[in-house]
Amino acid sequence: MQLPNNGRSHVLLCVSASAEIPSWEELLDALDAVSPLVDDARPGLAFADMRGSPGTPAEWMQRTREAIAPFVLDARLGIGSNKTCARTASHLGDGTICPAGSERSFLAPLSLALLEIDPKALERLRLLGVERIGDLARLPHGPFVRRFGPQAARWHACACGRDPAPFVPRGHCVAIEASMFGEGRTDDEAQVIFALRVLLSRICADLERCGKRAGSLQLDVELEDAGTQNFDVVLASPTGRERDMLDVVRAKLEGVRFEAPIVGLRVRAARLEEGGEKVALFAGGDFDPQAIAVAISRLEAMLGEPVRQARTRSAHVLEERFVYDRYVPPKREPIHEERSQTVCDTLIPQLRLMSVTEIGVRVRNGEPAAVTSDAKPPRAVVECSGPWRVEIGWFSDAYVVRDEYDVLLDDGELCRIYRQGAQWYLRGSYD
Amino acid sequence: MATPTQLPPSRHTAFAALKAGLDNAALAAPRPRIESKIPSSVPALDRVLGGGFPTGSLVTLEGPAGRWSIAASLVASVTRRSAAAIVDDGALYPPDLARSGARLERVLVVLAQSSLAIARAADVLVRSKACRLVLVPVPELRAAVWVRLAGLAHRTGILLVAVAPPHAPSALIAPLAAAAALRLYCTRGRLEIVGKRGVWCTIGGYDVCAEIRKNRNAATEQRAVARAAVC
Repeated sequence: MQLPNNGRSHVLLCVSASAEIPSWEELLDALDAVSPLVDDARPGLAFADMRGSPGTPAEWMQRTREAIAPFVLDARLGIGSNKTCARTASHLGDGTICPAGSERSFLAPLSLALLEIDPKALERLRLLGVERIGDLARLPHGPFVRRFGPQAARWHACACGRDPAPFVPRGHCVAIEASMFGEGRTDDEAQVIFALRVLLSRICADLERCGKRAGSLQLDVELEDAGTQNFDVVLASPTGRERDMLDVVRAKLEGVRFEAPIVGLRVRAARLEEGGEKVALFAGGDFDPQAIAVAISRLEAMLGEPVRQARTRSAHVLEERFVYDRYVPPKREPIHEERSQTVCDTLIPQLRLMSVTEIGVRVRNGEPAAVTSDAKPPRAVVECSGPWRVEIGWFSDAYVVRDEYDVLLDDGELCRIYRQGAQWYLRGSYD
Repeated sequence: MATPTQLPPSRHTAFAALKAGLDNAALAAPRPRIESKIPSSVPALDRVLGGGFPTGSLVTLEGPAGRWSIAASLVASVTRRSAAAIVDDGALYPPDLARSGARLERVLVVLAQSSLAIARAADVLVRSKACRLVLVPVPELRAAVWVRLAGLAHRTGILLVAVAPPHAPSALIAPLAAAAALRLYCTRGRLEIVGKRGVWCTIGGYDVCAEIRKNRNAATEQRAVARAAVC
């Protein structure tokens, strides 16, 4: 049997299986043992380029069956010079080979449905009496494409034994890591930082070689007492620069105490992204997410509290109109968007929240007339606005009704106070 | 290719004139401006401050009222292009900050209660140069610490604004005052009431008077009155 190999064209081994294979990725990894070039067409369909592989087609198929046996038992294999031929061969029967040079005659007697033509066009072709692939191949190319649209060009080429779909090898999962073990022990911070710098320079060299950037680093520290400590170091924006990585890692380690001397370090690059890093020209004072990430790591290591970011939301109660999230530096944005933002040219009074304290309020004509608190002498209310009634949780046990007032006191302080039940509380003051 | 010395006299003269013209044009051309002021977006205040708050310095906002209103307008101005950090003692009310125009996603809020934590947070933030503006409440610190922070701000070009509590005792302000490049004393002026008393009455706004008590770069004892509008 003649192989579909003239030295230039592909020799594709098609693995066709059910689309519901749960471990499809693992099966593709196993196919790496058969060929280094594997095209993941879709779940249940893969092609391996066997051009230049040692052995005969029977041996290739045997190797393939052995490789995929742990994952799927009912896979069908076929060989052809292009994807359509290889897939059709596998469909005809397990182990079928489409001979090179006779693709058109190999496909001619087969049903048109094997070309994966869309159902409406298939039905129209059937009505026109075109039922076999050979019938389609015999149609004149120009009129057929004009009648059925641009996609018909591909169907016609496939029917003639020429599949224009390229073979696209899938990318392999790249693991970039560097480690240092068994070179002594240290409890000196400077030595650890030096070792980290060495590891990070290796990581960055590997990243550059692969044309990738790391979005985070996983640092494993092995201690002399057999304990380990793991750190997930998130970089603000994926980078391949050693300096940026070292800054964040150093900041992350600040304030960390190890129970025993360090005997090993491992750094692994994670969240890999393709391509280079975008840099902004003429952006000296602009937002720099990487510098912020370093500052955040340092602050969190030092204070033990996460750096927060406020977010406003709609709510009736003052305290529920904002929430704090962990700060995530936003990505750098084009400058023109930010210049278009307008800032109001008047000051906005800022309410400064106080810890809620109970106060005494003298009421006259239904309005606060004087405020008494433990810390200060009684103060008369000069101006008062309100009340604004806030009712929340009326549908539950946590039913709260409060009347809020803004009062200007005779010492010049402008306060937000509220009455809840029979008690009065001071909530904040405007500044 | 002919060099100017090889050119005929007439062309040599023309070349020299052209070169002189280009040199003059280059001298007259506006040079890239290094932003040394951060405008507060309040025209009256910026006018008095000569364009805005000086970067690379320690600024204090003192007085009984209006300090955080001015600080919020600074945050709004900075977060248009850069980031700002607020060391918060728990009193920050973000909805009002957002209303003043600040982009909250560019404001780092660092919770620090004790004097030591506030000082350390300010140190890290100024040193990191991550934010162009760092706002801190005034904790009780020695003068040497304020001098150090002011020096750090000067080296890094960050505007460090210390907001004093209302009616702060002089013992709290004195160590800070020596290190500050600019001291603003803020008071509340005329209050505008909209509507009658009671539920139909709202506080429409008030004037914030900012008096310069110290300015290393310009004359002091100037006052600015800015309007603060509640709605």
